[in-house]
Parts: sequence; structure tokens; C-alpha cells
Amino acid sequence: MYKYLLKRFLLMLPTLFGVALVTFMLIRVIPGDVVELRYSGDRGAVSQEILDKERARIGLDQPVWKQFLTWILGVVRFDFGTSMWTGAPIWEEIKLRFALSFQLAIMATAVAVLLAVPLGVLAALKQDTWVDYGVRVFSIAGLAMPSFWLGIVLILVMLVVFKWLPPMVYTPFWQSPVQNMAQLIWPALAVGYRYSAIATRMTRSAMLEVLREDYIRTARAKGLMQKLILSRHALKNAMLPVVTVIALEFAFLIGGLVVTEQVFNLNGIGLLFVQAVAHRDYTLLQALIMLVAGSFIVVNFMMDVAYAWLDPRIRYR
Amino acid sequence: MALNPPIDHAVDIEVPAKPPGWGAAVREFCRARPLGAVGAGIIVLMVVVALVAPLIARYDPVANDFGSMLAAPSQAHWLGTDAFGRDVLARLIYGSRTALLVGFGASLFGSTLGAVLGVASAYFGGRVDLYLQRVMDVFLSFPLIILALALVAILGNSIPNLVLAIMIPMVPRSALVIRSSALAIREMPYVDAARAAGFGHGRIILRHMLPNVMASYLIMLTAFLGQAILLESSLSFLGLGVQEPIPAWGLMLRGAAVEFAETAPWMAVFPGLAISLSVFAFNLFGDSLRDALDPRLRTQ
Repeated sequence: MYKYLLKRFLLMLPTLFGVALVTFMLIRVIPGDVVELRYSGDRGAVSQEILDKERARIGLDQPVWKQFLTWILGVVRFDFGTSMWTGAPIWEEIKLRFALSFQLAIMATAVAVLLAVPLGVLAALKQDTWVDYGVRVFSIAGLAMPSFWLGIVLILVMLVVFKWLPPMVYTPFWQSPVQNMAQLIWPALAVGYRYSAIATRMTRSAMLEVLREDYIRTARAKGLMQKLILSRHALKNAMLPVVTVIALEFAFLIGGLVVTEQVFNLNGIGLLFVQAVAHRDYTLLQALIMLVAGSFIVVNFMMDVAYAWLDPRIRYR
Repeated sequence: MALNPPIDHAVDIEVPAKPPGWGAAVREFCRARPLGAVGAGIIVLMVVVALVAPLIARYDPVANDFGSMLAAPSQAHWLGTDAFGRDVLARLIYGSRTALLVGFGASLFGSTLGAVLGVASAYFGGRVDLYLQRVMDVFLSFPLIILALALVAILGNSIPNLVLAIMIPMVPRSALVIRSSALAIREMPYVDAARAAGFGHGRIILRHMLPNVMASYLIMLTAFLGQAILLESSLSFLGLGVQEPIPAWGLMLRGAAVEFAETAPWMAVFPGLAISLSVFAFNLFGDSLRDALDPRLRTQ
């Protein structure tokens, strides 16, 4: 088992390095840079000399390989440098918005799990009936609706039906939990519904597989109550792939937030990302992409470890 | 050849020659998978609408009409008008062209390139496979939209560039799936036979292996179609995709649609419905196709 885990761990390193390299190169190829954009308001009025000086100040005059080396050496020490646009340290920029996005991500995940597990189990138990079809249509619809549109419609419905608009200014949870929830529950619903679709399908197919296992038949033959069979024998074993899907999706949740935060006017990581693209803020973009891709890779690895730990068939391979 | 024989005859003669036949397969699919048939129906409808757009749209989708800005749905404008007085229905109809063009373009190129890479990776095995898989791993670590966003920023946002930006993130996802089905195909005797007959690598990959991973390929393709349409609308919504005045559903949801959502909800509601309905149809069809084609699911 240790050999397997070690191999998985070592395979993770080149992937992380590759991600860093691709991120770095991809961003440098985007036309225009931060200096050009900052002075684009008075184009022509600014001499080439000033532009060059500014580039030199933030290190953009160095050869690309040197810039990469400086950056990657910082990254391995978790130092992402300073934002090219605001000049503030990257950690500061991210920290400001992280609480909001992280809370949103957790709430969206909670919504997804609360929807997915009961629906998936129900669909598996009533396979090929109208209940199953209904759940399937519901979850495919979740995948089909853009979460930003769902957000617009949610706001609209509340406005028209309840004559009430969710607060548009962010209040930290510990200041006013009610105010905070009143604002964040809607984007969480919009993102969570979409997110639940994948988990629902996974729950359904995992349950279907487990329900065919011999130990379920044994449990039934023992005369165990259906409720106990489901909760203690079936669900427990079916949850492994579901948890994997949820964990992996969690790392990618920022993708969903990029558009949703725009609709709900939330100043989170997603909005920061779009702004960073617009400003050609190389250092900030690199840090954000590394954060997302890196957490995906690490979660992936942790899932493999969890699997090996939980499933003896993998452990002794 | 003015007097072609009626098509029916041709079919009557053809059918016994190749046992199941397309017609029978379609009928069987509709009977066994009603939800999939509904999806296919919506898709066909969409394609027809996109093809005959100039015939059914009663307004020019890009013509401003400041006399009737933000008009509510009425006899003249069935789904109302937007902030420039443009007919929402006409823009939806023409928008289906953009959605289908980008959707089909990106998913077709993306899954095909992925399939070729996946099969090649499985066929050559060894180092080629190992290195190719590591490269794929790297690209799989980026969320679809983040990679597409970066690519669009690099390439610029004309429609061909948009297709490219949406296609590239799909390649590793398709390669991953196709590779795993190709690994089984590689062990088949006919691949050995082809190799023994002295065929080149290219011919074995393209002529002998690729056709046998068709089921996985079609499953990937239909799954990507919906995703590509959704991705295009997300990018356009962010202002990084299709640009004004080209009619595109995601773009219609941007700016004024949100600002005037309270007074002119038709601007926000209908384009979103169009996106949802089309992605829903592709997913429904793709899901049923997967059930029908995946041999693992079929035997159960």
C-alpha cells in the first residue's frame, strides 16, 4: 500500500509542475500587459520610457524563463508575490474574498448533498418508474440551467412574488448571521442545484450497484428491516464514489462561482478572477489558477489515499 | 433521372440486406427510451429553426428600433423587445445558429481530437502513453470555464476562436474516456492480425481501432454538446464570448437584461429558457444514448 501511495504522490509532483508551467505560459500569451492597460487611458501621452520603467519595476523586463524561475521558487515557499495591478500582496487580495467564496462553496455543497443523496436513493429504489424518471429529469434540468440565469430568475421571483430583494451588501457571518444567510442562500441554491445533479446520478448508480450485492441479499434473508438495510448496509457502501465526486467538484466550484458571483454582485474569488483577466494581472491570475488546479490535484490525491485506506481491495494491490 | 423510384421501395429492398436498419433502430430507441426521444425531438426542432431562421424570424435580429424599446410581449413582438428595441424572438431564433455552430464545432473537434489521442495513447502504450497521460492530467486539473476563459483572452473572441477555446479543454476529457475503451480493443485478435499483415500505425489506429470505440465516442460527443453550448453562453454572459451585435443567448442575458429584470423580465427569462431547453435536450438524448450504447449498462 505504501508503495502505491508513494507512487501516486510522486506522480502528483510533475502534474503540479506542469500546471504551473501551463498557467504561466498561458497567461503570458494573452495580448497586452498590465502596464499597457494601466496607461491605456492616456495612450500616446505616456512615453515608451515610462512604460519601460514601469515594466522594469514589476519585473516584466526580465527574460520569461527568469520570471518563471523567480515565480516558481516563490510558489514552493507559498509566496505568490504582489498583485501587479494593486501592488498589494496576493495573499491579502485573496484573503479578503476567500471567506465569502469559501462560505458560498460550503453552502452550495450542503445544498447539493441534501438534494442529491435522498433523490439518488429514491431513484435507485424506484428504478424505471415515474419517480426515477422524475428525478432524472430534475437532475438533468439542473445540469442544463446556467447557474447565472437561475440566479437572475431567483432574484426576479423574490422581487415579483415576495416584493423583497436579498441584501446586496456583504455582511460577515459573525456580524449578522441572518443578514449574511439572507444574501448567500440564493447563490448557494443556484450553484448547489447544478452541483447536485452530478451527485444525484452518482448516488443512483452506486446504490443500484450495491443493492445487487450478495450482502444485501444476506441482510434481507436475515430478516433485517428495510430501513436498516438501506442505511447501514447499502448507503454506507454506496457513499464512497459519491463522496469522491463531491470532493472533486468542490475543488472546481470556483468555476461555477465565476459567473454566479457576477449575477449576485458578490465580491468573491470568482469576481476577482474575472477582474484579474481584465487587468492582465499576471501574478494574481497565476496564484488563483494555481490555487484551483492545485487544490484539485491535492484533493484527487487525498481521495486516492482515502480509497486505499477504506477499500482493502485497493490496499493490497 | 427525373423519375426517381419512391424512397419506400429502396428501403423495402434494403432492409432485409442489413438486418436492423436505421429506421428500425430509431423506432426501437423511441420505444425503449421515451425521454431520449423527447430530447432528440427538441434537437431536431432546434436544428430546423436554425436552418430556416430567415424564413421564420419576422424581424432583423440586429436592427435597432428606438421607437419600441423594452416593449412587453405583444402581437407585434411575441416575446417583447430589448433595450435597443430589437425583437427578442428574432434574436433567439438567430441565436440558435450561434449556439449550434459553437456547440457542434467545439464538441465535434474536441471529442474527435481527444479520441485520436486516446486511441493512440492506448495503442502505443509504454512511454508514449505515460507522457501523454501526464500532459492530459495537467489539463484536466483546470476547470473547463477557467481554461476556456484564459484561451479566449489569448485568442480573441471571434466565433472560430471561441470554438477553439471551448474545444481545447474538452480534448483531455475525451481522451481519458476513449483511452480506457481503446485499451480493451488493443488486446483484440483483429488488431494483432492487422499488425501481422504489416499495416502502419496510422492505418491500424484510424481504420481498425477508432471505429470500435465509436460507442464511447458518441457518448462523449453528445455529453460535450450541451456543455459547449453552456460554456459559450457563460463566456458570452461574462462579455468574453460572442460580441454584440451578433445574436447569442448568453449575450442577451448580459447588461440590460439584468438591469431591467424587474421592469422587462422577458429579456432575462426567454434567452435563459432557450439555453436551458437546448442543453436539457442534448443531455437527455446523450443520457439515453449512453444507456443504449454502453454494453456494460446493456447487460444489466
